[in-house]
Amino acid sequence: MARYFWFIIRSAFSDFRRNKLRTFLTSLGILIGVASVVLLIAFGLGLKKYIAQQFESLGTNLIFILPGNEFQKGGSMSGIGMIGGAKFNYKDVQKLRSIYGVADVVPAFIKTISVSSSSETKPSSLYATTANVFRVRNLEIDLGKVFTESDVKKRSKVVVLGPKIADDLFDNKDLAVGKIVRIGNTGFRVIGVLKPKGGGGFGAPDLDSFIYIPYTTGYMFNPDKNFFAIYLKAVDSSYIPLVKKQAKELLLKRYDENKFSVIQQDEILDTVSSIFNVLNLILVLIGAISLLVGGIGIMNIMYVSVTERTREIGIRRALGAQRKDILWHFLAESVILSLFGGLIGLGLASILVLFVQKYFPAYIDLSSVIIALGVSSVIGIIFGVFPARKAANLSPIEAIRYE
Amino acid sequence: MSIIKLSKVYKRYKIDESIVFTALKNVNLEITNGEYVSIMGPSGSGKSTLMHIVGLLDGATEGEVFIRDKNIKGLNDNEVSSLRNTFVGFVFQQFNLINKLTILENILLPTIYSRKQLKFNPEKRALELLSRFGLKGKELSYPNKISGGQQQRVAIARALIMNPDLILADEPTGNLDSKSGAEVLNLLDELNKRDKKTVVVVTHDKEVAERARRIVNIRDGEIIKDSYTK
Ligand SMILES: Nc1ncnc2c1ncn2[C@@H]1O[C@H](COP(=O)(O)OP(=O)(O)O)[C@@H](O)[C@H]1O
Ligand SMILES: [Mg+2]
Repeated sequence: MARYFWFIIRSAFSDFRRNKLRTFLTSLGILIGVASVVLLIAFGLGLKKYIAQQFESLGTNLIFILPGNEFQKGGSMSGIGMIGGAKFNYKDVQKLRSIYGVADVVPAFIKTISVSSSSETKPSSLYATTANVFRVRNLEIDLGKVFTESDVKKRSKVVVLGPKIADDLFDNKDLAVGKIVRIGNTGFRVIGVLKPKGGGGFGAPDLDSFIYIPYTTGYMFNPDKNFFAIYLKAVDSSYIPLVKKQAKELLLKRYDENKFSVIQQDEILDTVSSIFNVLNLILVLIGAISLLVGGIGIMNIMYVSVTERTREIGIRRALGAQRKDILWHFLAESVILSLFGGLIGLGLASILVLFVQKYFPAYIDLSSVIIALGVSSVIGIIFGVFPARKAANLSPIEAIRYE
Repeated sequence: MSIIKLSKVYKRYKIDESIVFTALKNVNLEITNGEYVSIMGPSGSGKSTLMHIVGLLDGATEGEVFIRDKNIKGLNDNEVSSLRNTFVGFVFQQFNLINKLTILENILLPTIYSRKQLKFNPEKRALELLSRFGLKGKELSYPNKISGGQQQRVAIARALIMNPDLILADEPTGNLDSKSGAEVLNLLDELNKRDKKTVVVVTHDKEVAERARRIVNIRDGEIIKDSYTK
């Protein structure tokens, strides 16, 4: 049995060796198809990973309370639902603190502002919040210090800068601590600069350009004393469902059901990835079309090969080959041809991914390899079976008399 | 003991809707075990057609074919293929070796298609046949790298690898110079005398035909004479 398959494969390879150029050209379609599918999957996975990293960097075990009910439906992140949604205030924060299983509550008032140093003026996002934000959202200090509870109580006019805005305002972030920045007509002392978090691009907020101030100080830009969002940190992940449920019940007493959303990180991730999944599907479809074209190319060449080798088929039949032996023979050839294209395509995609990895976390996982090889074998079988059947059904005498 | 028997065999080819060409007419032929028979006739007389029917490469349009007194009518394609594999060894005018396979692989080809567990070591036997036929050391060469005479001896080795009872040779010297032709014919003699194979040689050449003890003359698809020499 092993001898039989070895002979079939050996025989297929000797045929390819005699037709190197043709073999290569035929598998080119599969090569391109497999390479594009693998690349698309690699980039899709990379994108998901990138987004997951972004969320991860926000902090773990977080629950978001946002205005509007857009997220709840798992729909788009257009934010349309946020207009006319609930306007949270400090009373909500206090009530949410009393929930069982909550470790921290962080309210956030976010406003786009213009900020100036003595030499520069830059647009930025003001993030007015409590002192625990740095702990909850994994914001690490690089230079100076973060603001404290007492800064919140005293409404201190202090700011903590993201590293990017610090660089932008002061040439070099090392020079920022101790300097004064102006927002509107008010001066604030820079007490700290955060470590870089990344982010930005793909429409995500650039966390490194945020300016953090105590929420009490922030009331000067926020006369209604509202918060755009409130973050809850659960004691650990097992408390998340319980915290969500309690938060919902609590808020329902104060706001209409469709005016707010209580969601966890994963759900936002799901919403985002479902958008990318659709995108991925379209791209994979494009790959599938090139695979189809590649498959037809293989079928075409296999038909040519059957005709060219009619006499060889006749000889094999004269020596005792059964129909199924001939069928196997040609099927093995088309599968090998297709796998050959698939392997080179996979190799090519791997090289490209390796190259791109410096800039983007695209990667090839085991499932891409299985898909690449599986798909090319299946294409080899599907498009090889018709020519192989033609070969198997040739009558021995006609084949051996064929000139 | 009869090894092959044809009874009232006709072979007709449909040329087009209205024209039917009869290549074999009422052929009755019985060959017994161990015979050396030549089938002689001019080109187009139906010799190859007859040989293909005897070798189970083709079926008769009418009449009966018996292998060892067994009518082959009831056999399916796989059974007929198996008989070709084990019962017959073919030698063709054009050698019919597969050029992309090595000499050794060509000789082994019938063993690959065998459905029964082989009772011998195929590589060992192939190498024995090669050295017997003066082709030692050629096993890894390719057919188009050796002479016509050598190719035909490879084809004979291939015909013998499954140790069949019947060797069918269709114009085995047709593409050879007289010296290599004589070598091949000597080999066929030897297969009959020493190996006790039944040998059937198809030829248009009287000299070739007369090496056999029995000559079957065929003309226009009919056996016109069936006689023993010497
Ligand atoms: N498939 C076929 N269709 C029509 N005629 C055929 C076919 N095969 C053989 N013939 C005819 O049958 C006759 C006998 O052919 P063949 O047996 O090859 O003759 P030989 O081997 O004696 O030269 C020839 O006239 C040939 O043209
Ligand atoms: Mg002939």
